[in-house]
Amino acid sequence: MFFRVIDKERLPDLITGLGTEYEVIAPVEKDGRFVYAPVVDPAEVRLDYDTTLLPPKKWFFPAEETLMRFRVADNEVLDDEVFAAPRVLFGLHPCDINALLLMDNVFTGRYADPYYMRRREQTLLIGVSCTPSDTCFCNVWDTNEVHWGFDVFLTDMGDRYFASCRTVKGAEILDRFVENRTVSDEDTREFQRVVHDFKEAFDRTVDTTQLPVLLDAKFDSPIWDEFGEKCLSCGACSMVCPTCYCFDVHDRLEPDQKSGVRVRTWDSCQFKEFAAVAHGQNFRDTRASRVKYRYYHKQWGYLSKFERVLCVGCGRCARACPAGINPVNVIEALQTGEVR
Amino acid sequence: MAPRVAIIGLASDFGCQVQVTNMEDHLLDVLGLMDLAYWQLASSGHLPEEYDVAVIEGAVTTADHVATLLKARETAAVVIAIGSCAVTGGIPALAGTVDYDARYGVVYGDGAAVARGRQVPKPVSSVIKVDYHVPGCPIDPTEFVTVLSRAIMGLKDDMPQDPMCAICKTQENVCFLDRGRACLGLVTRTGCTAKCVTLGRPCTGCRGISPEANIPAARLVYAEKGLDPLELDRLFDLYNAAREVVV
Repeated sequence: MFFRVIDKERLPDLITGLGTEYEVIAPVEKDGRFVYAPVVDPAEVRLDYDTTLLPPKKWFFPAEETLMRFRVADNEVLDDEVFAAPRVLFGLHPCDINALLLMDNVFTGRYADPYYMRRREQTLLIGVSCTPSDTCFCNVWDTNEVHWGFDVFLTDMGDRYFASCRTVKGAEILDRFVENRTVSDEDTREFQRVVHDFKEAFDRTVDTTQLPVLLDAKFDSPIWDEFGEKCLSCGACSMVCPTCYCFDVHDRLEPDQKSGVRVRTWDSCQFKEFAAVAHGQNFRDTRASRVKYRYYHKQWGYLSKFERVLCVGCGRCARACPAGINPVNVIEALQTGEVR
Repeated sequence: MAPRVAIIGLASDFGCQVQVTNMEDHLLDVLGLMDLAYWQLASSGHLPEEYDVAVIEGAVTTADHVATLLKARETAAVVIAIGSCAVTGGIPALAGTVDYDARYGVVYGDGAAVARGRQVPKPVSSVIKVDYHVPGCPIDPTEFVTVLSRAIMGLKDDMPQDPMCAICKTQENVCFLDRGRACLGLVTRTGCTAKCVTLGRPCTGCRGISPEANIPAARLVYAEKGLDPLELDRLFDLYNAAREVVV
């Protein structure tokens, strides 16, 4: 890892410089909340954002994307190329970088997904340190720190950023686009102090003791019925989740019925049709079973395969769920047997 | 042989039929798929004796409508209901939320010609079996073409069943409920990409109540957000007065 220090007032140069060679995506304000969007003017970038409405996954795995075009008459695939422009995702919080690493396990593993991979390969990630919001619980999963998966990570030290370059490419773009200097002993001491303070600030406590065991032991607990009664089956939680990767695939014909497109869209395990199979059977017929399996998969199924839970504590689902169901109150209900 | 299609209007403002004509770029492609036997809006002819697909727009408000539907069901192999009026009773069904006969007098007066066999407006599916639905006020012409082609190919109805919130999230809209404003998206059938919310207006439920809607839970959400829980039910009246839930 290489380290550099950048004066805060020089940061816009980096964004402008990157913009000459990359599409720069960064958090910008939208109706009082924030979204990752393409930026041209560095003044639009809001590094003081709390969280974004949708996570960065949309830039690698869009809510809807065309997988291929086809011609009906001869079943010919006309176009299945993935075009991915060189891109920089600027300003990612540690939770969101960690979430992409969890997505990578799925999309770049045994059955590598060319669409996701192509965009991932073409995108540089620049992270930035953050402070906790009301709904964050990343410290519960140790995802308030990130050690790899980024090209550059900027730690806010007041008047300057401590820039950790994880990749050669990351160091290159810093040297090319923004005035920077090497790290002094004082910078390193300040960095240590600041990162300690950051870590201390994340003090959410959630009792995750023996969570996988609890999930199994309380498989038939009435808490699931209570959550099922509250759940709207709307799927908002899955959409805003930085680690939810389930999708559906549809063929859509053009109005002339001579050609069509195969599209992939985000799906949700909270939809009834999600587990419907031929002959009208449905493995998750009730809301309660669907809520249960969402948590069962995130906190146990994925863990058993990849040794991490499929949650980074970003708190987006806690904000998005109209009914107020979220991992924190689900885990608490598992521990106490009471839904609050 | 191309299937013979008849487009029949009941009580509505014909807006959905207009939507079909609005598909200028694709209209010829669509017409190429079928033999248009009758189109109430665009022709002066009469409904023929034989046709294969009946496309019905509008709510059922008279005995004549009932007779038309029964005949259509008998004649056509496939019946498609288009638009809120036909699918859920739509805005006409609002008449059923008050004393219908008294209201009729208020609107038309004592001497008004009374439609033969007038009745509380209701959806097409309350009279005959409907094979395919294209919900919405007005319909999305692209969705209409998709459904029509599915019907012609004999594929099953694939109408979205889930509530709207998920697709609304993908549009990165800031939730109206979080801003203390009533929105029906959490109980309304998805499939419109949450157009209204994206354009800055709460969902009014024109696509009908989602079969997966959890209405008691939605009332609790309203209360939690500082709204009157019964506001949800009042808002339903605009497009879902008949409380028809199409599966």
